[in-house]
Amino acid sequence: MVIRSKAVSRGKIFLLAILLVVVLTVSGCIGIRTSPGGGSGGTIADGTLFLSPVLEQAGGFTCAAPSTEGKVVAVNASDGNRRWEVTLEASAPTGGFGCATAATPVAVYGNPAVAGELVYVGGYNGKVYAINSDSGALRWVFPREGALQPIVGGVVAALDRLYFGCSDGKVYALDAETGDKQWEFATEDKIWATPAIDGETLYIGSFDKKFYAIDAITGQQKWEKPFETDGAFASTPLVYNNTVYIGSFDRYFYALDAATGSKQWEFEAEKWFWTRAVAFNNTIYAGCFDGKVYVLNAETGDEVVDAIDLGSAIYSWPVLVDGKVIIATEEGKVYAIDTENNRETLLEDIGEAIYTPLCVSEGILYVYTQLQNLYALNADSGARLWNLTIE
Amino acid sequence: MDIGAIWDLIAMQPMINTLIVLNHYLFNSFGLAIIAVTIIVNAAMLPLTLKQIRASKAMQDLQPKIAELQKKYPKDKQKLAQEQMKLFKESGVSPAGCLLPLLIQMPIWIALFQSIMRVLAVIPENLAGLSQYLYSWPVVYSTLPLPNNFLWLNLAVGDLFLAILVGGTMWVQQKMVMTPAADPRQRTQSTLMLWMMPIMFTFLSLSFPSGLALFWVTSSVIRIGIQYFVGGWGGLVKTAPKKQTGRDTKYKRRIADVEEAPAGGADIVAPSSTEEEGSGYEESRGERQDSGGGYPKSLRATRRQPRKGGSHRRKGR
Repeated sequence: MVIRSKAVSRGKIFLLAILLVVVLTVSGCIGIRTSPGGGSGGTIADGTLFLSPVLEQAGGFTCAAPSTEGKVVAVNASDGNRRWEVTLEASAPTGGFGCATAATPVAVYGNPAVAGELVYVGGYNGKVYAINSDSGALRWVFPREGALQPIVGGVVAALDRLYFGCSDGKVYALDAETGDKQWEFATEDKIWATPAIDGETLYIGSFDKKFYAIDAITGQQKWEKPFETDGAFASTPLVYNNTVYIGSFDRYFYALDAATGSKQWEFEAEKWFWTRAVAFNNTIYAGCFDGKVYVLNAETGDEVVDAIDLGSAIYSWPVLVDGKVIIATEEGKVYAIDTENNRETLLEDIGEAIYTPLCVSEGILYVYTQLQNLYALNADSGARLWNLTIE
Repeated sequence: MDIGAIWDLIAMQPMINTLIVLNHYLFNSFGLAIIAVTIIVNAAMLPLTLKQIRASKAMQDLQPKIAELQKKYPKDKQKLAQEQMKLFKESGVSPAGCLLPLLIQMPIWIALFQSIMRVLAVIPENLAGLSQYLYSWPVVYSTLPLPNNFLWLNLAVGDLFLAILVGGTMWVQQKMVMTPAADPRQRTQSTLMLWMMPIMFTFLSLSFPSGLALFWVTSSVIRIGIQYFVGGWGGLVKTAPKKQTGRDTKYKRRIADVEEAPAGGADIVAPSSTEEEGSGYEESRGERQDSGGGYPKSLRATRRQPRKGGSHRRKGR
């Protein structure tokens, strides 16, 4: 038997140590994204679909350098022909090694907002961009110098203003035309949710486990005190029949009086609520991370039918089309729930992770996946009309 | 159930939920939770760590003898290997003793490493993905997302001072386990080892969230403590007397017995050859007088018995 005498040498131990470092480094990257990918759903205005693509993955086995430049892309909603795209430059590099990113990527998570001739997006790099919807020319950037903390939620355009929440814990209102700040409202922790505007009231939840109603004109708190729960808020509220519906990380789905913030009912699920609910015919459809869609009576919170189990977490915002709730799961299946009988049918199995909000216009359903593919489906039959890669 | 799911079930989920619960009970401080869970994991693995350190020390103590054998059999690799194995057997040192505990510990460290990365949930994708690892305990759901601030640190981003601390503590730890080597090649490797790892981890710490750097610093400090307990300051302070434990003494005595045994054990070179090995060997011999390690009882029994036959010894001479 030949015995390898050098097996115990310091050289081997040294190599083992290096191997350990490599294993630790690589294993740390496996399945854990270290830079924001973003990716918005589509927003349609005047036959044009605007969206911001998912950035390339950083991390993984290769620890590849992440993309740092963001984009806003405009395509024809009917056939997917690209009209224009604008590149959003990344912040100054901060250096890095391993799986880390070298600059704060301009990842856009929230859907673009369109008002008049401008389309707006908020980036993870802490800037809000206003872009001409016809040409793609940049109109203004907020803030003009420096950057805010990451903006994860979407921006909302209403009342000639632009509203968004920020990771610095503040809600901002900007002049939609100029980008000048109108007011800001501070909460006690990060805000990753997209606000909802109803009339002149803005509703938004924060990681401080509180849910706020804010006067959209003045920036003053409307309710006597914010609604408090045991969990953070990342989902976008739904306002329906003077009631605000919102899900929380404490696994409860709440109905609040829109005027006072008092709780009307609560419903306990198995996991977090991240997505926005939809309402139809006095019924609330709330998707949850437990892979179920809860069908609740809007007034009482009672389950209208047993929860519809779609088998995979629901991140994506559902849409309502012709009495059907269309909802996508993380694993890439798109379902239609008939509101008549609350039964689900599989519209299409795309097979690619879906995190971004769904979007529908003129009978066409638009689904943008984490693999950077935009699918246009017939909203009624689920048939694929066209698809293209937007990266 | 695939391997990934099993890994999540037995390693990631317990670790992640423990981190979150500890955060809740430790003043909602994720920094304290990282330190606490690192201490707990180190405590749980202490027997393995001690075994590895003692085995490494014993192996280092044998290095002069191995060097002598290498000098004696520069060309006959097979004979050299046989004699080395004989030396290991006689002294009760197992080459696997250094590596096996390390390999067993590795998955646990990887799990802890990954758990911290996941719980930090720096970006939205990570926070969303975290939900699949959570137990259905209300405390877990109500605690998330965790705060990233600890002392002056934002645990989600790299920190220069902490990165330097990672490198510094690793260097100290590495220096403690180093012994002077007579062989220039070994010296080079030792020096490489001494500097390479700390430098690499310093750069890694700059890039990864500082929560990970906090974990590395805590681990290094604990390892320094254990190392001190087992073998004193070691290579860090050359003149400092070594603190001994009973097990260390047994180890050393065992090796010394083997070396001094006239008829048993491996082929031992003449004193003149020993002198040629230089001061490194002398230092090592000096240390053998006052420290050692423990060995299995079976080996303890064999060491006093002369080897039967002995035909395998000095055959080549």
